[in-house]
Amino acid sequence: MTQEYWRWPESRWTSEDIDWKKSKTITAGVDIGTNSSQAVVMCDERLFGYANLRTKPDYQESARVALEQALGASGVKPKDIHYIVGTGWGSRNVPFAQKTVDEINCHARGARFMYGPAVKTVVDLGAQTCKAIRLYEWDRIRDFMISDKCATGMGRSIEVMADLMQVPIQEMGERSLMVSKDPEPVSTTCYAFANTEAIGLFREGYKESEVLAAYLFAIAWRIHGMVGRVQPEKELAFNGGLAKNPGITKRLEREMKMTALTSEYDPQLAGAIGAALIAKAMAEKA
Amino acid sequence: MITAGIDVGIESLKAVVLKDGKVLARGTGLSGGANRARAVEQVWSNTLAAARLSPSDVSKIIATGQGKHDVRFAHDHITEPVADAQAARFLYPGATSVVDIGADQVRVITLGPGDSILEVVMNQKCAAGLGILLKSMARTLGMTLEEMSSLPDNSSGNATVNDGCSVFAEMDALGLLNRSIPREEVARAVIEAVAVRINSILNNKIKPAKDTTVLIGGVSRNTAVINALKRRSRINFLIPELAEYAGALGAALIAAG
Repeated sequence: MTQEYWRWPESRWTSEDIDWKKSKTITAGVDIGTNSSQAVVMCDERLFGYANLRTKPDYQESARVALEQALGASGVKPKDIHYIVGTGWGSRNVPFAQKTVDEINCHARGARFMYGPAVKTVVDLGAQTCKAIRLYEWDRIRDFMISDKCATGMGRSIEVMADLMQVPIQEMGERSLMVSKDPEPVSTTCYAFANTEAIGLFREGYKESEVLAAYLFAIAWRIHGMVGRVQPEKELAFNGGLAKNPGITKRLEREMKMTALTSEYDPQLAGAIGAALIAKAMAEKA
Repeated sequence: MITAGIDVGIESLKAVVLKDGKVLARGTGLSGGANRARAVEQVWSNTLAAARLSPSDVSKIIATGQGKHDVRFAHDHITEPVADAQAARFLYPGATSVVDIGADQVRVITLGPGDSILEVVMNQKCAAGLGILLKSMARTLGMTLEEMSSLPDNSSGNATVNDGCSVFAEMDALGLLNRSIPREEVARAVIEAVAVRINSILNNKIKPAKDTTVLIGGVSRNTAVINALKRRSRINFLIPELAEYAGALGAALIAAG
């Protein structure tokens, strides 16, 4: 069996401390992305369980399995959940959700929960799209941008790159930061070109760290161009799978001249956490 | 005389050891990013072991492929179309064209009289990475490349993806999944799009002959793609048994002189 360099670890957790029977409102958020799916269960706005899985070709199955795993052995049944919100690329494929909410609102909401109420700019670094969101001081969206056609799939392309480079996906960022100075970024127009262009740099005598730096810098530069259009201000938060790649976040911070907040939560959960919080508001309204 | 050819592609390495026009052994492995030179040595020593030879038994080694300069122990290098042409002529003496579909590039070579090459046409930028696209899509669809390649050629044509750009094709495929289209149908849509793109390169400038065109390269192993391509191009490709080793074989043949 050859090593699967592209594969990132899935995770799940269910609280053993929270007595769900005593909680007033149980809600859930399910975020179906193109590459990863998350389910988050909350008891009165406290995190009760989560699951973060690779999206299966059957999106409805992904939604079901993610929720099952988030509930774990807690004894909570899906029907015990008062309100479920679906979000993400595949939000329409969460059959048990009462409502779907767009990713922008979910990510904004999730980021304020995870990183604190001071967050003003949220950058969601996803597999298929990147989004920059600017918030007012109160919970309202001021402006947002979504990556356009040719910039889609950057997160997905990193999986391809991990394979081509034979570098485990979780180590790419760290290894790219081993350069003393970033080389010129590769083509920033299209990821299909960026991948082969980066591999071609070996021919010019680049070291592994330099190839990774040229590649990840190109991605960060591209995101930076988009983020600039919402006129970001402090405090800054990064969501999504690529937020775990310091090769991108460190370079993005450098270009933005800002430092992002850190959180104890997995940044991939942001959308689902936001959805679960919105579900709470919906349950109370209903 | 014993000679060898090593083909260093963007995704995989291929080595062939040849003695008097017969293949003694072959070996393959992943290209290995920054460690490509080491991966080459590994594949080479495995191949030698399979042939029960020591390095000194091999009179001449010629390297080809995108990473040919990573074969530090090679005596010479040769460009890919020349190696492809040599292999095609060796396998099929009547061959008039060669189509090589690799992980990254598509190449069409028109053979001339004697050892000559009349024309080489490469894919334009946007048709790059077709092999990579297939692999990445197989992953998204939860299939192996073998499963994808053995899908029957009965596309309903209802589900389609962009046939101009890999990035858009992937995006469209994800859109199909989101509409709960079964993964087999999504896979067929991707296969069809890849075939359309390869066919456009064939039809663009050179129209390879119907019965004397040789097809080589890793993607030639993908039966589903090849069936779709045959249907669209109406070419009865000659596909050698070891199609992905053709570049390495050509290099070994040239080394034999």
